[in-house]
Amino acid sequence: MLQITGLIKTLGNFSLNGVNLHIEEGEYFLILGPTGAGKTILLETIAGIYSPDGGTIILQNRDITSTDPKNRGIGMVYQDYMLFPHLTVEENIGFGLRQRHIDLATIRNKVRETAEMLGIWHLRERYPDTLSGGEQQRAAIARALALGPQVLLLDEPLSALDVTTRERLRRELRTIHGMMKTTIIHITHHFEDIFALADRVAIMQNGTIVQVGTPEEIFQRPETEFVALFTGMENLFHGISRRRDGEALIDVGPISIQTVAEIEGDVYVGIRPEEVIVSREPFESSAVNTFRGTVTEIQQNGMFSRIVVDAGVPFVCALTRQSIRRLGLAEGETVYLTFKASAVHAFPG
Amino acid sequence: MERLIQRLSRSSLFSATFLAISAALVIFMGIVIGGLVLYPSQSQLLASITSPEIFFAIQLSLVTSAVSTALCIIIAVPVAYAMTRFSFPAKSLANVIMNLPLSLPPLVAGVALLIFFGPSLIGTMLRSSGIDVVFTVTAIIVAQFFVNVPYMIRITRSAFAVINPRYEYVARTLGCSEWSAFRQITLPLAAKGLIAGLVITWSKSIGEFGAVLLLAGATTMKTETLPIAVYLNISTGDLNEAIAASIVLIGIALISLLIFEHYGDGTQVI
Repeated sequence: MLQITGLIKTLGNFSLNGVNLHIEEGEYFLILGPTGAGKTILLETIAGIYSPDGGTIILQNRDITSTDPKNRGIGMVYQDYMLFPHLTVEENIGFGLRQRHIDLATIRNKVRETAEMLGIWHLRERYPDTLSGGEQQRAAIARALALGPQVLLLDEPLSALDVTTRERLRRELRTIHGMMKTTIIHITHHFEDIFALADRVAIMQNGTIVQVGTPEEIFQRPETEFVALFTGMENLFHGISRRRDGEALIDVGPISIQTVAEIEGDVYVGIRPEEVIVSREPFESSAVNTFRGTVTEIQQNGMFSRIVVDAGVPFVCALTRQSIRRLGLAEGETVYLTFKASAVHAFPG
Repeated sequence: MERLIQRLSRSSLFSATFLAISAALVIFMGIVIGGLVLYPSQSQLLASITSPEIFFAIQLSLVTSAVSTALCIIIAVPVAYAMTRFSFPAKSLANVIMNLPLSLPPLVAGVALLIFFGPSLIGTMLRSSGIDVVFTVTAIIVAQFFVNVPYMIRITRSAFAVINPRYEYVARTLGCSEWSAFRQITLPLAAKGLIAGLVITWSKSIGEFGAVLLLAGATTMKTETLPIAVYLNISTGDLNEAIAASIVLIGIALISLLIFEHYGDGTQVI
């Protein structure tokens, strides 16, 4: 659907050094990377703001590499919204439609439909500087969607928002994507976004794409050290969460993991290897998760070693070499794994 | 008043000293300018202001400054935008050259213009094709434009500089060409700065003396703008006419300053 090949662009300190991406029709595609990776330039080059120094962009079999932004059918939403401050919410949302010289009644209907979908029609007469961050972001998304773009580019759309608003808008993005079936490319540095939103994820670093895959592939088989460090969750499982007394019990294959998150249904759980305590015998503690398992692998490297314990699902644990010696661990031995409910990170799946 | 005294008595010697110097300066300026307005008798003043000569000077000043200010805007808007948004070779050199008239004495700018339109090759060519600028009303406009366009560019630049270019980027993804994004987004967002620039440029054009004197000359009832009228009447000893022209200039300065204060926030003026 969208095929980017060998895209090169240098702009001040930022650069794209040969970006290759293939994005499917209707896909929710996330690009994850640290600040300075060149994510925003990539979006702006796709939108046509900058013409690339090299490479091609093909959208629906049409070479748009040097097409004017206004003729690309690509919508853009920035992190800081960029709502036109001299126009009302309604005028902002209708801005693109007005450029097409459509009759006013049609514009108003379309604006109303889009604004109602995002729950901001009642704000239509307000100016952007009187809106909250979440409202501004909804207006910015509505403005881009009103034209029915083939591709919607979102540049860190949730980063400037407070946690509650961010989570609500994240769910709404998922809903909007489901309703509109628009292809979305979304830049982020929050890994929660990956599980909540992405069909596929690309990891970007120093102006290139270092890995592309489904969220599970990215987290379970990071292809570079950078991805592993950036994602950081080696124990990642898919499960079903049930709520119980302010806590949640997540069934992951044969075991159930307790967490403090108030989350239900399809989830991913992540536990960092250094949060897992390994012992020879079960012990009484405040930590609620204890599982019996068998050591299947010991990797000695550096100060910390990693051991893999099969407790129904494979857990990776990080221990010092001294601890391994002290406990007398070896492959095939039986051990107990203990971790706190608060060490369990759960994301909607 | 009581409060003021209370506040002053509480203040330190440091702040009292600085405030006293400020107060002295304000009083000094007030007396100097106010004194000029109050010096002639009101009937004489009225007669001088309504005299044909001063009336002519007011008219000429308004017309020439309006035309030169319009020219300043037409040129300054694209130049300021290019200087803010684009990078091009020799940009800093261009910047120095277009700012030079700012620090140049207007008299020197006038001499340079006089040579350019007078005995230089270009001046000679212009004259042979029937365009004679020197000592005409056109010269007044040219001199005002030359001296003031850098101010207009500076103010317009700072107005554009505070506008995030991403507004235009978004507008272009929404169906605008670069031209229409500029017209529909950037220009309205810069409007306050542009109005501020317009007012200060206009008031400076009205007050322009040195460059106008040299290029347009000082001919009574021909190239006699308000500052030229002050100069001519002082040199012939007609104090009332000189003061009348000065008072009109003070009034214009006051009005434009008030408008500028209203629109000028967010722009830097040198």
